[in-house]
Amino acid sequence: MEEDRLWKFRRPEWLNSAWVRNGGVYGAGALFSLAFYVLLDAAVWSKSAANGSDVHVTFVDWLPLIFSALGMLIINSVEKARLSADSFSYSGSGVAWKARVVLFLGFAALAGGMAGGVTVFVLKFVVPSVQWPALGMGVENVVANGLVGLSSVVLWISQNMEDEYSYNLAL
Amino acid sequence: MPGIKTIISLSFVLAVGFLLVILSCALFKVYYPLLVVATYVLAPLPNWICSRCSNPDDFVESSGNAVLDLGRFCTGFLVVMGIALPVVLYHSTLINAAAMAMSIIGGLLIYGTIISFGMFFQEDQEF
Repeated sequence: MEEDRLWKFRRPEWLNSAWVRNGGVYGAGALFSLAFYVLLDAAVWSKSAANGSDVHVTFVDWLPLIFSALGMLIINSVEKARLSADSFSYSGSGVAWKARVVLFLGFAALAGGMAGGVTVFVLKFVVPSVQWPALGMGVENVVANGLVGLSSVVLWISQNMEDEYSYNLAL
Repeated sequence: MPGIKTIISLSFVLAVGFLLVILSCALFKVYYPLLVVATYVLAPLPNWICSRCSNPDDFVESSGNAVLDLGRFCTGFLVVMGIALPVVLYHSTLINAAAMAMSIIGGLLIYGTIISFGMFFQEDQEF
């Protein structure tokens, strides 16, 4: 195990406990919820009396979040153990290759969602120079997509901890 | 060992939580914050369901663990939803600040009661 290490710095020991791992999964759910409600807040605020402008949240504003969430679903559905399978015994008939392609699609959807959020923000809010209280809807769009990305990073890291954890338990 | 005092204090806290949430609705005649109660009652459900679905003794297949993770993810989602919902309602001026604060605090009390109840009586079942 020790000779296979690629990175100079070790993972700190506390990262391997089951507590941190479960907390990471809860935290990922919390971040995703936060992302969804930030965008929902923009949509509800857009139809409320507080919005004086005639800029409204439409389906176009939701599209980046849908792509981000789809990307997150794809990324975290892939079995991580298949990814690092270099030997033939694990990767059978090219499972690692398929896993990498699917993972690439997932990351593309996630990055596309983030780029879409910025695109909506620029094209719908910055270019027509919408003033501040209504500009918040565009900012919330960018923030929501960033939070989905952060959530999938947290979920990814805490699922990668699983290997060491179950390895220790199996011994 | 949870005794009769634990049960009494937990039910007291639960009653205070419900009081705060219902007060936040009834004082202002806007009944949206009642959704917080539904959210927090639903929040532990994914964990319970998924822990039944998975087999914790099985280390060879990691699919059992994935189901557990799905349950935790949904629980985390619902817990933050209980806080985010009153804030969203407040931001679009459907409820006012006092109702928001009362429903958040009441919801957290309700959820804390449910969680600590589960923790106290899970230990009982194991032995």
